[in-house]
Amino acid sequence: MTWTVIAVLAGGVALQRLAGMFVGGAVLARVPTLATLASLIPAAVVGAVVVQLSITTGRSLVVDERLIGMAVAGVLVWRKAPMVVTIVAAAATTAVVRAVFGL
Amino acid sequence: MTEQAVRSGPGWGLLGGIAFTFFALGVTVNVLVLERVGSEAKTIVAAIVVNSATSELAYLAVRDAGGSVVAAVIAGLVVASRFGLLAASLGSRLEVGRTQRVLAGLQAFDPNVGVAMQQASPREVRRAFWMVTAALHAGWWPGTFVGVFLGNVIGDAQRWGLDVVFPALLLAIIGNALRQRQGMVAAVVGGALCALLVPIAPAGVPIIVSVVGAVVAVRIRPVAVAS
Repeated sequence: MTWTVIAVLAGGVALQRLAGMFVGGAVLARVPTLATLASLIPAAVVGAVVVQLSITTGRSLVVDERLIGMAVAGVLVWRKAPMVVTIVAAAATTAVVRAVFGL
Repeated sequence: MTEQAVRSGPGWGLLGGIAFTFFALGVTVNVLVLERVGSEAKTIVAAIVVNSATSELAYLAVRDAGGSVVAAVIAGLVVASRFGLLAASLGSRLEVGRTQRVLAGLQAFDPNVGVAMQQASPREVRRAFWMVTAALHAGWWPGTFVGVFLGNVIGDAQRWGLDVVFPALLLAIIGNALRQRQGMVAAVVGGALCALLVPIAPAGVPIIVSVVGAVVAVRIRPVAVAS
């Protein structure tokens, strides 16, 4: 990761955020259906990010102790447990399963 | 997501959870970055100016897999397009002046936009957004320094289960959305598309395509599936 790479990544990420805020936001404010769509986008994208972080490694689907930790997180979220409890329980479960099975 | 808006705004439990999560994330990500980059200065500057752990991780993942610098940069930028979408969502609900819009746009992340979009009034949207933004930076910055300077003391972050901290946080953030049919459909379709595409599509693409989940969900009648 050279300084040039860092600069290009920083500039490119900032540009996309600003484009979303100034171009995307204005369009959404004028079209109600698009605003509903936009309010659902975080759920869709987060659903995908969660899947990527819990059951994939590189470009393979991998079921391992992360999924058990995330199942615990899922139950706690559904039961409206406090966020800290959910996060600590998910990490602790994953760590314990990992330690027990020596992974 | 707005049908059952959270009226009380973000509480301390939520803010603490987000700060803790971004601390853990800062440690985990920056240990990985330092390992590959080999420079404390670059690792810290990148953490602050790129302002997207996902972009850094995508860049490194492509380089690890033997990809070129150009391909890695493209992957890093493609995964960040979700921040553009999040900024657009936020922009539709944020009623502030130009300067604050620039600053807010540059800080669009999953948790602060997610929490802000669940608020009822423009004032609550603004307040929730900046409170969560402050909380995530209060975790990310110390986490970055701990990861860079104490990384070898902590050892393998995976041993502590820290790799599920971020997905668990994200799941908790969309919890309210998941209790409504539209939000649940969006998340399930987005997640399923991601699982299908990861083995066959270039890195970053599955996340972008998951937006289709929202397109499917918008056609469904908004009904709560549980309270």
